[in-house]
Order: sequence, then structure tokens, then C-alpha cells
Amino acid sequence: MRGRDQGSTGEGAGVRGFGELEAVVMDRVWERGGPVTVRELFDELRAERAIAYTTVMSTMDNLHRKGWLARDKDGKAYRYTAVASREEYSARLMREAMAGAGDTEAVLSHFVAQMDGCQARTLRAVLDRLTRDRPS
Amino acid sequence: MRPALALAGYAAAVAWGAPPPLALLTRRGVCARTGLAAWLAAMAGVLAAAVLAIQSLFRTVAADWPSLTRALCRSVAGGACSPAVYRGALYEGGVAALAALATAAAAAALWRYGRRTQRARARSRAHAEAAFLAGRALPGTGAVVLDDPRPAAYCVAGRPAAIVLTSGALAVLDPPQLAAVLAHERAHLAHRHHLLAMVTRGLAAAFPGVPLFTRGAAEVARLAEMAADDAAARVSGRPTVVAALLAIGTGTAVPAAAVAAPVPHGGLAAAAYAVPARVERMLRPPRPVSDTAFGLALAAVLTVLAAAPSLLAAFTG
Repeated sequence: MRGRDQGSTGEGAGVRGFGELEAVVMDRVWERGGPVTVRELFDELRAERAIAYTTVMSTMDNLHRKGWLARDKDGKAYRYTAVASREEYSARLMREAMAGAGDTEAVLSHFVAQMDGCQARTLRAVLDRLTRDRPS
Repeated sequence: MRPALALAGYAAAVAWGAPPPLALLTRRGVCARTGLAAWLAAMAGVLAAAVLAIQSLFRTVAADWPSLTRALCRSVAGGACSPAVYRGALYEGGVAALAALATAAAAAALWRYGRRTQRARARSRAHAEAAFLAGRALPGTGAVVLDDPRPAAYCVAGRPAAIVLTSGALAVLDPPQLAAVLAHERAHLAHRHHLLAMVTRGLAAAFPGVPLFTRGAAEVARLAEMAADDAAARVSGRPTVVAALLAIGTGTAVPAAAVAAPVPHGGLAAAAYAVPARVERMLRPPRPVSDTAFGLALAAVLTVLAAAPSLLAAFTG
């Protein structure tokens, strides 16, 4: 797993793999709001962790290739901006996640599947009964 | 020809006949994992029987071909074609055509399956990756949080797979309930339930209108949820799983005391619906004798379904 599950247990313990670094870079780009160069981001990240300039560069290049970052040539360097805000991506993900199983082709396992009104009312009734029977 | 007919007959009988009894046996989710295995064994058995049937058709054609051509040559050389030779040629031609048709149908099904699973895999990976980038890590859990007031929790296959919670879900879960949700989603991933979902949905797309696959995909998903509930209950206890289900399902915080003790059985009238049925199942006190009987019955069905195609092929061939 290149996930944050290990990485998140020790904050600032370094970067584990590109996936984690991509998330860190997107965090920073979203926080800044405006366009940012590799150098600027590298200087920012270097203050907190051991990291190479080329690593930051290739990570941002990857994110550009995947369509997360747009870039414009500014003199010799590229200036990177986020293609969409974090909120827009979240909304897009939630739309896909909340669509009925037939509408989306991604394989998601919901803890509680989408319920129609009837199911939701039944569940509500179960909860009401439990809390009524057992006043705390 | 006989083994092909027997195998095709078996495949059709299970594909159309097995879903109602299997659904009845697995309805309450007693021994969810065995039930899951029974559905999958039925599917695998039908596919195996179909493949063996096609293979047996080709074997019939190949075995009869030399004698047929000999008879044809003799009758052409002798200038007289007997009705027996005509009948033989007609029969062989029919079997060959059937084999070709069955192969074409199988190829089409395989193509539909491949297209569906490939898309599902790509979409899932993209979703998981986007969730890791757009979500905020929930420290110490490996899960990511998306800002959305609607309570939701899910996992999605990918490299790596992601467990996603909304901020709305975090708002209604207390820490033990959150642990139960995470245990549920981790069980999905650990038991490769996303793979099962992908394969069964692919089969449903490959064989539209065949109840074992269309209904089976939904039943497998339902049983996978119950199996994951069981795993979460082993970690967190049943009351906590129930509280978490109710909290996310209704969007309100559920105090632990509300479901602290076993609830008197019956009267929930919830079994008809997927999520309420899971709540009722978690609240139902275990009944050792009938549960064991259920488990044994399921295991027997599972064994028969898994062994039947090869036995059939061995005895008729």
C-alpha cells in the first residue's frame, strides 16, 4: 500500500511514495490558491521534510499529466494551478458515490446503501423504538 | 451428444432454478460467508457446465467427422446416396452449427464481461485516487474524509483501495462507532469483496436475463455487507455496529445506551429491506441449533453445486 495509513501515523515522518506526495502537493496548491512554480513549492516543502527538487518537479508533472494541475510557461519555469477546487472534486466524488449502483460503474461498498423513502422510514422507526424503550 | 445435452440442461436448471431456493436459504444471512460461497459455487458451476457442454459438442463433431466423410465419399463414388448417409450428414451439420453458435454466444458474453469489468476497474481506481488527493487523511486510520454534510462511508477498490468518510458521517459517529465502520470497510477490502462485486456484476452484464447472475449479483452484494457486519461485530460488538448503521442511515447521532443491551426479538418488520434487515440481523439473538442446521444445509448445497458439473461430465462422457 502506498497509502497514507502508514504515513499518517507519524506526522512529518517523511514522504512515503508518490501517492502521498501528490496529496501533499495538491494540499499546498489549493491552500495557496494562485499559480505556483516548482521552485516555490520546493522551498516551502524543504522547510518541513527532506525532499529533492526533482521529486517535487516530477510529482507536479505527474499531476499535470493526470489532469489535476494546469500549467503555463512563465519565462523558463512553469506556473501550476489547480484545475478544479478541492470542493469541486469532493462534490464530483460524492455525486459518483451517491448515485445508485446502476448509474455508476465504480465498485463502491457503502456502509449504508442508498435507501428509498420506505427503507429510511423503517430505519427511523427502528431507531425511535430503541431510544424510546431505553430512555437514558 | 448426450454429455453436452446433460451439461447444458444442468446449467439451465441451476441458472433458472437455483436462485429462489438459494435466496430463501441465505435470506436472513445466517452463516453469511457460507451463503456467499454457495451463490458463487452455483455461478462457477453453471459456467463450468456451459464450457464443458461446448467442449463436448466439438468432441462429438470431431469424433464423427472421419466416418461421415468416409460414408459420403463411398456413396458419391458409388453414385448412390442412401437416406442414412443424408441423415448422418444432416445430423453432423446440425451439431457443428450448434457448436459454432454456442461458441459465438460465449465469445459475446466474454466480451460483455470484459468491457464491464474493465470499465469498473478503471472507474474505481480513478475514484480511489481522486479520493486520496481531494480528501483529507483521517490520522491513524488510513481513511480519507470528504467535505459533505450527507453522512456516508464507503470503500472503493484501487491502488491502493480507499476508505472514504464524509464529514457528515464523522459528525454523527462517536469514536467506537467510527471504529466499527472502519472495521466493516476493512473487512470488505481484506476479504476482497470489491473483487466479488466486480466479477458478479460483470457476469450479470455478460448474461442479461439469467436470474442466477442478475439476481445473484445483488444477493452477493447483500451477503458481503452482512459478512462485513459480522467482522465489525467481532471487533466492536453488535450494539456498536447497530448504532453506527442507524447513525449513518438516519443522519442522527445514536447514543451508545440506546442499543447497549440485546433488544427483544421480533416486531422490527424490517427483513424486507436491505439496511433495516442488517440492523435486525445484528439485534437478533443467535439461535445455535437452527443456525448450525442452516450452516450445514448451506454447506451441503455448496458442495453439490461445486461438484455437480465435473461429476456430470465424468459419468455421461
